[in-house]
Amino acid sequence: MKDLIKRLTEAFGPSGSEGPVREVITKEVEPYVDEIRVDALGNLICLKKGSGGGKKVILDAHMDEIGVIVTHIDEKGFLRFASVGGVYPVVTLGQRVYFENGTFGVIGSEKLDDIKDLKLDKLFIDIGAANREEASQKVKVGDMGAFFQPAVDLGNRVVAKAMDDRIGCVVVIEALKRLKQTQHDIYAVFATQEEVGLRGARVAAYGIEPDVGIAFDVTSTGDTPKARTMDVSLGKGAAIKVKDSSLVCHPGLRDYLVKLAEAKGIPYQMEVLEWGGTDSGAIQLTRAGVPAAVISIPSRYIHSPSEMVDIGDVEACVKLCVAACESPLDF
Amino acid sequence: MDLKEFLTKASLAHGVSGFEFMDVASLVRDAMDGLVDEVKVDLLGNVVGVKYGEGAQPRPKIMLAGHMDEIGLIITKIEEGGFLRFAPVGGVDQRVLPAHEVIVYGRRPLTGVIGVKPPHLTSPEEAKKAYKMEDLFIDVGLPEEEVRELVRVGDVATFKRQVSELMGDRFSGKALDDRAGVAVILVCLEELRKYKVDADVYAVATSQEEIGCRGAVVSTYGIEPDIGIAIDVCHGETPGVPEWRTSSVGKGPALAQGGNIHPKVFAALEKAAKEIGIKAQKEIAPAATGTDAWVMQISRAGVATGLISIPLRYMHTSVETLAISDVEDAGRLLARFIASVDAGFVKELKSWI
Repeated sequence: MKDLIKRLTEAFGPSGSEGPVREVITKEVEPYVDEIRVDALGNLICLKKGSGGGKKVILDAHMDEIGVIVTHIDEKGFLRFASVGGVYPVVTLGQRVYFENGTFGVIGSEKLDDIKDLKLDKLFIDIGAANREEASQKVKVGDMGAFFQPAVDLGNRVVAKAMDDRIGCVVVIEALKRLKQTQHDIYAVFATQEEVGLRGARVAAYGIEPDVGIAFDVTSTGDTPKARTMDVSLGKGAAIKVKDSSLVCHPGLRDYLVKLAEAKGIPYQMEVLEWGGTDSGAIQLTRAGVPAAVISIPSRYIHSPSEMVDIGDVEACVKLCVAACESPLDF
Repeated sequence: MDLKEFLTKASLAHGVSGFEFMDVASLVRDAMDGLVDEVKVDLLGNVVGVKYGEGAQPRPKIMLAGHMDEIGLIITKIEEGGFLRFAPVGGVDQRVLPAHEVIVYGRRPLTGVIGVKPPHLTSPEEAKKAYKMEDLFIDVGLPEEEVRELVRVGDVATFKRQVSELMGDRFSGKALDDRAGVAVILVCLEELRKYKVDADVYAVATSQEEIGCRGAVVSTYGIEPDIGIAIDVCHGETPGVPEWRTSSVGKGPALAQGGNIHPKVFAALEKAAKEIGIKAQKEIAPAATGTDAWVMQISRAGVATGLISIPLRYMHTSVETLAISDVEDAGRLLARFIASVDAGFVKELKSWI
């Protein structure tokens, strides 16, 4: 699983440019599903057919990651950029970014009198070009860049960029591999454009018309020094979401997952996330409404190039996902 | 139906956005029973009462939306000592929280207080500042172990607040935003008995309005109405607030006008008010109304929407204050409007102008 985490987190895929991630996932899941298609928004939709009599279930994880997009190239070859998704200026300073064609760059800053003035428009990317012409041969306005950080294995925990939400993809992939028997038609949706407004999941769910939707995404923790108050910790198991800013999870489905975790002895914790949303927020509002829940992977330093998860938590999420697919889901 | 009695029950019922099923939904369901032909609850917890019309098929479909959810609190952490940390559900004003009594809906309802440091122990600098929500906590009075048995992260809490009858026919309590709108719908359904009605009426007590009109998004899609009327609250006149942003409490319901409102629906509502001799005020909505009407309008291929508002003071506090006569008038006006809708009117609505 660690090898898959490394390959997936190191793949390139800012919102709208998820191609390389889609390729990795397609190869990985091909032997385990019955149908694979890509829709108009680039969602990778994989169907594992059930034995019959079950429900249409979406397991969603988003492929895209936050990144940057080039807005201007100046005479000296420096690139100005805007954010793709929620990029904090302060964590970008000194980072390296790379483009899909392999071009690398460093993020530099104008002279600032006060660090509080640090906004994205004070920053630029230096790709080592001497002037606009040279820069333009490698990068064009509109090209997206991703943050560059190799994945690091810390033992029980792993750090990487784009753990949000490749770790969700890992959970769903791993569950597809382990799932032997289910009555449900399982639609694994590897969604695009979550970071720019839950856009991929919205259309995928409209197209599929599911009976149940479960998203797998990262959630914050409150277990670091002087963190914002939150009752989720790394290493304490799968987080079953009650609410975030995108949805209140379906109470029946949520409690069903809690009971399932208890029955199977899977460690879990309840989660209320005060900021941020997930694909289930879009899935829930599809057509006349879909019961939706979220199983979250606790993660520290979300939206930084060093997002940390606990392997035990990931394992718990996989087990809970498999258990849900094997259960009648008659909440 | 005794309107004051319903408003009292509705105000005291709890139903934080997303948790309406715990209490208020059943109150509304029971209240609708007998006034409609059938009542359903949909996948997002909207309570949908259907009253079939007498017109020829295909009959006009009118959806009424009054949201039954209320703003509230959600428990985020159980601290050492059994103190509960919380976050807002919907637009809770953190400045009004200190010293509030609350009810935490754990395994059983627990009364709690939001405690603060006594002034004696507060420095002069601290005393000038309002408390931030992240510094506040709920004390239910039990030792930590017992709290942990009874309360779980994700449980919700509401203000504990009795209703009050003020002078005149002013009525004050929590959650009148928008239980007053639900009351308008009930008054309307009763009133409809007096009329011959062509249209099918879908009376919806919507869920999750305070966190993004989510209930209305899916219920409108499911119902596919020709006309959607939201009934919500608007700001009553208040000292320190410019007059143009408010309506007068006790001077009749306010009819919204602006891009969110189909001009022909507005005109028909105004006409209905005149016909039954009700004073109606105008509420100017330059853009988003922040009500269910906003999402109803762009459901599927578009819905002709209207918005009736009950003027209300101190919105999003536990002492929301309105005039009962405005609720009554809004219900009568709405019924008159519904009775006027026929297939010809629906056809006219297909064009904005």
